[in-house]
Amino acid sequence: MNAPPLPPRIGIPPAPFDPWDKISGLDFGEDRTQAWTIRQDILHTPPEGRPALEERLLGALAKSAPTTAGRAFICEMLSLIGGTKSVPALGALLNEPASADVARQTLERIPGPEADQVLRDALGTLSGPALAGLIGTLALRGDQQVAASLPRLRDDKAQPAAVREAAKNAIQHLKRQAR
Amino acid sequence: MIPATFSRRLFLKSSALTGAALAAPLIVPSRLFGQAAPSNLITVGIVGTGNIADVHFNTLLGYPDQVRILAVSDVDQDRRSRAAAMVNASYGNSDCAAYNDFRELTRRKDIDAVFICTPDHWHALIAIDAMRHGQDVYVEKPLTLTIQEGRALADAARRYNRVAQHGTQHRSMKRFHDLAQFVRNGGLGKLERIDVAIPPNNRFCGATWSPEPVPAALDWDMWLGPSQWRPYTSIGAHYNFRFIADNAYGQVTNWGAHYLDIGQWALDMDGSGPVEVEGHGDFPTSGLFTTATRVDFTCRYANGVPMHCRTSYIGGGTVRFVGERGWLDISRNQMKASDTQLLRDMQKPGGPVELELSTNHHENFFNCIRSRARPIADVEIGHRTTTVCNLGQIAMTLGRKLRWDPAAEAFIGDDMANLLRGRPFRGPWTLL
Repeated sequence: MNAPPLPPRIGIPPAPFDPWDKISGLDFGEDRTQAWTIRQDILHTPPEGRPALEERLLGALAKSAPTTAGRAFICEMLSLIGGTKSVPALGALLNEPASADVARQTLERIPGPEADQVLRDALGTLSGPALAGLIGTLALRGDQQVAASLPRLRDDKAQPAAVREAAKNAIQHLKRQAR
Repeated sequence: MIPATFSRRLFLKSSALTGAALAAPLIVPSRLFGQAAPSNLITVGIVGTGNIADVHFNTLLGYPDQVRILAVSDVDQDRRSRAAAMVNASYGNSDCAAYNDFRELTRRKDIDAVFICTPDHWHALIAIDAMRHGQDVYVEKPLTLTIQEGRALADAARRYNRVAQHGTQHRSMKRFHDLAQFVRNGGLGKLERIDVAIPPNNRFCGATWSPEPVPAALDWDMWLGPSQWRPYTSIGAHYNFRFIADNAYGQVTNWGAHYLDIGQWALDMDGSGPVEVEGHGDFPTSGLFTTATRVDFTCRYANGVPMHCRTSYIGGGTVRFVGERGWLDISRNQMKASDTQLLRDMQKPGGPVELELSTNHHENFFNCIRSRARPIADVEIGHRTTTVCNLGQIAMTLGRKLRWDPAAEAFIGDDMANLLRGRPFRGPWTLL
């Protein structure tokens, strides 16, 4: 008796890929297995191995036109292991309205004077919710150097209420810290 | 609003007013006395009108002589309209205001207290805003999403001298009180361990999802608030927030907040916590839901006692105390023991430790609003319990043993773990 014929192949499975090649193109709702793998890598790599991972994240960020989800994921990972080396790239994102808030959140957790300076400089360029968030970040970082510029924002009736309120709360926070 | 400081003289005056008002048919709202005057009638606002708020509506509407709901807030217009209509129907008027933005509610000077029943990622910001504007708060469990938020909230309560009750109502159930007191008095002999069992997740989703149009009645940007932006999908909104780590930590904080809390109470750790934690959880590697589907972590205290927290696929949440004399197992509905003599001994009076007894979590909150005393599940206690939940979450995320300094509220020698104590907020929201 002859063996039954094999069913026809219905398609060629996609070729395996390196997860790092895909993260800048992540999209909401898609399979996130590769992002999960990279996240695990970042969470579990000891400090001495993190600069190499930071380099790879910055490489992914530099790819042309990362998606909103891809950029947010890369920034979140940089907020965990990023250092001074990440500041210029994040500073550039801070100046773009579409990425300003996510860049500010990432810089919030990167220590050092370089990040302080980039955040301070953005006080003069951001507006609306991004500016309110930035004021909060500067206060949470305990940046007393910005204290002098906050009353102006608090009292500026042209600013949205969220900005004025953020400035008011930041002034109080920095005062408490200075005591 | 109830004044931040409250002298004994004012308290006695308040008690007299309470008695008079109870005898009289007319209810006199606090605002008629002016902001500084104490009154028997406590005015309330409720932020978040979904699932858990139903419990509060039912309870609060049952105290019409003591409590008056003046406003509700929800980012879902359908929900807030329904909630306001229910309140109005109960009072026979149309006075209950309904706001999309909670800040309209927290800035009302005629509201004494705010119940916060939103998804977890909003708890800290709304509570701090309410307290900053002079309102007392009842915050549903878990107190906050992160440790950093919990510390900010607890500090704000002290700074603004507000009453802040955590919604761990087991603290106001006599059975839990008796057990915690019994354990503290050595009723089980030397305590060997605590086993907390929490139920598994009760919602699951597929590996992929598709963005959907935001319903006309929903302010999705406000629903997300300080958490990371994502497009709307019906599987990622309302009750399902609990299974998305941007918004909650699953059953670790849902049921863990209740039963780990009893462990903390019985260990006399209300102002402190464990010194070590390790755990391993199963996390979905794809799909929108990101909280652990199987939980398993152990906190160890300075006295050497471990508290285990594990997913149990049989029954609901429980906590078991195991000591030299046997074990006691307690849940919301029942109590079991290795030897019935332990249950009899637990009812005997005596013992050097006498814990405060509250038998009604809402009444305890309202009494404290009047007296300015600290409630049975004070914000600091709530923060410490929520911290234990977070320690478990972080240990499972990292899969390694972590040392914890409960005084400094910091991990020792693990900068990654320390970063996971908090999260940056999306603008314009800030944790100040």
